Amino acid sequence: MRRIGLKKATTPNIPTASTADIAFLLIIFFMVSTHFRTEKGLKVNLPKAEMTERILKRRNVAAVWIDATGKMTVNDNLVTPSSITALMTEKVIENPELVVLLQADKDVKYGYVTDVLEALKDARALKVTFATSYGKGGGG
Amino acid sequence: MPFTLRPRSRSSVEPNIPTASMGDIAFLIIIFFMTTSIFSREKGLKIVLPEKGAETKIKSENILTVAVNQTGQVLIGDRVVNIPEVSTLVREELDKNPELAVALRVSRKAPYQTMIEVFDQLKVAKAERISLMPVQEEEGGGQ
Repeated sequence: MRRIGLKKATTPNIPTASTADIAFLLIIFFMVSTHFRTEKGLKVNLPKAEMTERILKRRNVAAVWIDATGKMTVNDNLVTPSSITALMTEKVIENPELVVLLQADKDVKYGYVTDVLEALKDARALKVTFATSYGKGGGG
Repeated sequence: MPFTLRPRSRSSVEPNIPTASMGDIAFLIIIFFMTTSIFSREKGLKIVLPEKGAETKIKSENILTVAVNQTGQVLIGDRVVNIPEVSTLVREELDKNPELAVALRVSRKAPYQTMIEVFDQLKVAKAERISLMPVQEEEGGGQ
């Protein structure tokens, strides 16, 4: 049982000790960048805008959805502008940095949007973002 | 009590934790996070609303009114313009008067898309002071 050729004793191997570290690094990246979608919202076609910018701190975002027929929801509950004021007042007290993301359908009448804006003013939720998708406007 | 508890022959067997499958576990978790994560879809046009009751007075010569009427026509002052022209026109006005504030008056019946397009154009023109004026009556912006 004597091995012939001492060189064959060293088996070639790929170092795999650090793959776990790499993988965990990626996990941390995904964990930080991820957030679970908690609300379904309404079906909306967002308008397009060229100057679309990202909201950097997503933890501060509260969404208000308005669909093409003027239905409004917050946290998947049907709301009216006056109940938006009540809801948002609480949220602003909890988090003064709150940004309200207005997810309105592009075909909705502006009247609904302005009602919501007035409601947000009453709630002192002054940071508002109109949700848009990036792209050149439809050239109307 | 010197270290005589361990017999010498056993110390040659190194204890080890199997780490070969760590990578597999980690990649499994990665795949989970990748499939559930949504890359910031929260995009849009920012605006800071004025506080109620704290409206700042602006001299009338420093206000440029951009209106959108019921049918979605865009008016700067009294002139009907096309939406893509808005940015250049506002840019010109801003060059003339850097103090200028833009007031956006949109009819309640105007489509939201039009309002966003105009608002976008104002942003393209780098207008810093934009205010959205609520229109109470159903009369249409330009009346």
